[in-house]
Amino acid sequence: MAASAIVVLPGDKIPQDALPKPMNKKKALTLGPGLRHIPPTTIATTIAGALVTDNKKNAAWIEFNSGRYLPTAGDLVIATINTSTGENFNCFLTPNTPAATLPHLAFEGATRKTRPQLVPNSLVYARIASAGKDSSPELTCVDPSTGKSEGLGPLKGGMVFKISLGMARRLLAGSKGGVTILEALGEKVGFEITVGRNGMLHVDGGNVKTTLAVGRAVQEVDEQALGAKGQKKLAERVLKSL
Amino acid sequence: MAPEALLSHLHRADGSATYTHNGYCIIGAVNGPIEVQRRDELPEEATVEVNVRPAAGVGSPKERHLETLLHNTLRSIILTRVIPRTLVQITLQVRSLPDEEGAAGVHPSLLLLPHLLHTSLLALLSASIPLSTTLTSVLIAIPSSPTSKSGAPLVSPTATDLLRAKPIRSVHVFAFSGDNRLLLNESDGVFSFDVWDEACETAEEACCREEGGVGLVGEGMEVDGKESANLEEWLRVVVRRKVEHEQRWKVAT
Repeated sequence: MAASAIVVLPGDKIPQDALPKPMNKKKALTLGPGLRHIPPTTIATTIAGALVTDNKKNAAWIEFNSGRYLPTAGDLVIATINTSTGENFNCFLTPNTPAATLPHLAFEGATRKTRPQLVPNSLVYARIASAGKDSSPELTCVDPSTGKSEGLGPLKGGMVFKISLGMARRLLAGSKGGVTILEALGEKVGFEITVGRNGMLHVDGGNVKTTLAVGRAVQEVDEQALGAKGQKKLAERVLKSL
Repeated sequence: MAPEALLSHLHRADGSATYTHNGYCIIGAVNGPIEVQRRDELPEEATVEVNVRPAAGVGSPKERHLETLLHNTLRSIILTRVIPRTLVQITLQVRSLPDEEGAAGVHPSLLLLPHLLHTSLLALLSASIPLSTTLTSVLIAIPSSPTSKSGAPLVSPTATDLLRAKPIRSVHVFAFSGDNRLLLNESDGVFSFDVWDEACETAEEACCREEGGVGLVGEGMEVDGKESANLEEWLRVVVRRKVEHEQRWKVAT
């Protein structure tokens, strides 16, 4: 990543030299969130944020951490079931947005006879199968190629915590995200977390105290933007209170 | 004096901004893209809803008029076709007005308009709603002078400035897009075309960066403390601060 981020405003035209320099000339340029292509050769921004480029993937996008989650195909999200119709569950990804559909048969091992019974307000970890501006998003809990759930499915127990979209991306990015608090806590207590790209974090710690402590710790790391040292200190404090 | 802005401070709204300038303080909140009511739904575009709430009392035709102006201007910069059949809801609450506002003898809604435009833009930036360009707006007041027909134009005057320069011949509100195009003009009073033209040029100078400038700002940009030369640069400083705040985890220890 570049040392100094290029800050862009909506409508800025990205100059040619700020775009990624591909190692493989044949690879097409990929535009991520916040960028649009105005034919023939103009690339303009649509949101305010920092321009990030990846030479290896020949991709450019705008990094931002505000606003509402916009569904994108392939994202892992925690959906809340609202209603169940004949074939589908209608679920919410974010409040007050059109419902996403989750077919009854999109669960591992589900058939017409054995379909999962999910009551309203239950949580499901799902992948967005398709999302576009012209249709409501579609969710799935199975990998279409293998038919296995790969960890997706209904979430039981635990509690959901709200985190920022940037924090969700960091948690899913692994070591690049710089979140070390989970490893530090995990050395002493056992818990299970699920991260949804829609700014939801599901924590199941077996008991209420652990669940709350882990969830609140992650929220604190998010709000105060704690670095490695700060996270270590916080983890010690949390573990002492347990 | 450059306006002060605070971004993303309301945690329930998708985007929010508080803007303070010349005694005006406005809180803006944006929710969107959210589900739109069936009767407001547009098949290929997002619906934009603007609510202006006055400092005291409930909304009146004056606020409705401001809402219409804001709605038309903001719709031209929001990429409504990227988020069809959704609603972008903008709520602007006037928190405080300068004490001398009523005494200046100028249409009060024109005095408020540039501030409302800036607040809504900042809230839209905070909500990361796709925009085609940014917007800057300024108020130009032209006082009458005894010698010539009209005096030197005042650029975004405070209420006290207006009171001192009384009587004011005409006031103009201009809004420019990021690529220096005129988005909105509201004028009030007696003026000739030459006067309007001069006011427009003055406004453009106050709003937009000079032609030929580099589109992207590097690290060499001045940070807070130093006064921004024009509103476009001020906007960049605000956004730079937002990005720094979002990415502070990268430099935190």
